[in-house]
Amino acid sequence: MTKLTWHNDGGDDEVARNLRAMYAAPVGEQYWNDLEARILARIAEVDLGWWAELDRWARPALLAAAVLVLAAGVAMFRARQVETRTAYENILTPSPVPVETVIRPTLEGDREASLRDVVGHKDRSNGRP
Amino acid sequence: MTAATAVQSTFAMPSPDGDPRRGSDERTLVVSAQQGSSEAFAALVRLHQRRAYAVCRAIVLTHEDAEDAVQEGFLHAFRALDRFLPDQPFGAWLYRIMANASLDLVRRRKVRDADELSESSPAPFRDPGEADELRRRLSEALTRLTDRQRSVIVLHDVEGFTHGEIGSMLGIPEGTARSDLHHARAALRRLLKDVRSDI
Repeated sequence: MTKLTWHNDGGDDEVARNLRAMYAAPVGEQYWNDLEARILARIAEVDLGWWAELDRWARPALLAAAVLVLAAGVAMFRARQVETRTAYENILTPSPVPVETVIRPTLEGDREASLRDVVGHKDRSNGRP
Repeated sequence: MTAATAVQSTFAMPSPDGDPRRGSDERTLVVSAQQGSSEAFAALVRLHQRRAYAVCRAIVLTHEDAEDAVQEGFLHAFRALDRFLPDQPFGAWLYRIMANASLDLVRRRKVRDADELSESSPAPFRDPGEADELRRRLSEALTRLTDRQRSVIVLHDVEGFTHGEIGSMLGIPEGTARSDLHHARAALRRLLKDVRSDI
C-alpha cells in the first residue's frame, strides 16, 4: 500500500520520491556542456544583431545628448545674464562725455550749413540789381 | 580547451555547492561579465545552469520547454546584467528571471494550445519515463493543479527551495507560497486517494 502523506515538510514519502524521479534533471556532463554551448550560442546570435549594437550605444548617446542640452542651457543662461548686466550698466553708468557735446557737432554743422545757405541766399538777393 | 574550462582555470572556480569562496568568486565573475567578459558570463552559465533548469522544469510541463526557458532566461539575464547590483545574491536574481521566462513560456503555450486544440480536450501530460501506476497517476494529477500550485510543490518538495525563495522567484508573498503548497498537497492527496486501493 502506497503512503500518500507528507510526514514532514516535504518529507521522504512515496509521492515526493516519485515527484523527484519525474522532475530529475538530466545526468551526464555532456548534456550540460551541450546546453551551455546552446545558451552561449543563442546569446551570441542575439548579441551580434544590429539592434543590440544600437541598444549598447543608446545609453551613452542619451547621456551625451543630455550633457549637450545642459551645456547649451547653461551657455544660453550665461549669455542672457551678461546681456542683461551690460544693458543695466549702460543705463546706470554715467557717460564720460555729455550727451550734448556728442550731439552738438552734428547740430552745429547742420545749423552752420543752414545759416550759410540762408545768408548766402540773402546776399545773393541783396546784390541783385 | 572549452571556454568554460578556460574560465574555470582563470577564475579558480569552486565547486557549486558548499564552498564558502563561491560568493566572492561569483561576485568576481559577475563584475567581469558586467565589464564585457564573455568568458565570465560563460562561467556563470556553467555554475547556475543546473539550478536554473530545475527552476524552469518546475514551472513548465516538459523537459523541452524547460530547456527553452533556460536559454531565454540566460538571454534576459545577459541583457539585464548591467542593471544587476553585484552586492545582491546573483542566484536569487537569476532564478527570478528564470521563473519569469518559464511563466511567459507557459502563458504562450496556453495561448497556442487554445488556438490549436480548441475543439479537442486537453491531453494530459505524460512523463515518457513513467515506470509505474503511481507515477502515471501522479503525472495526471499534476496537470489538475494550477500552474502556480504545481510550481510551488515541485520547487519545494523536489528542489528544496524555501517558501521565501519560492515567493521571491514567483513574485508572490511567502505566505502565499506556503498556502499554495498546502493546497497543492491537499489536492494531490485527494486526486491520488484511490491509488491506495488500486496499487
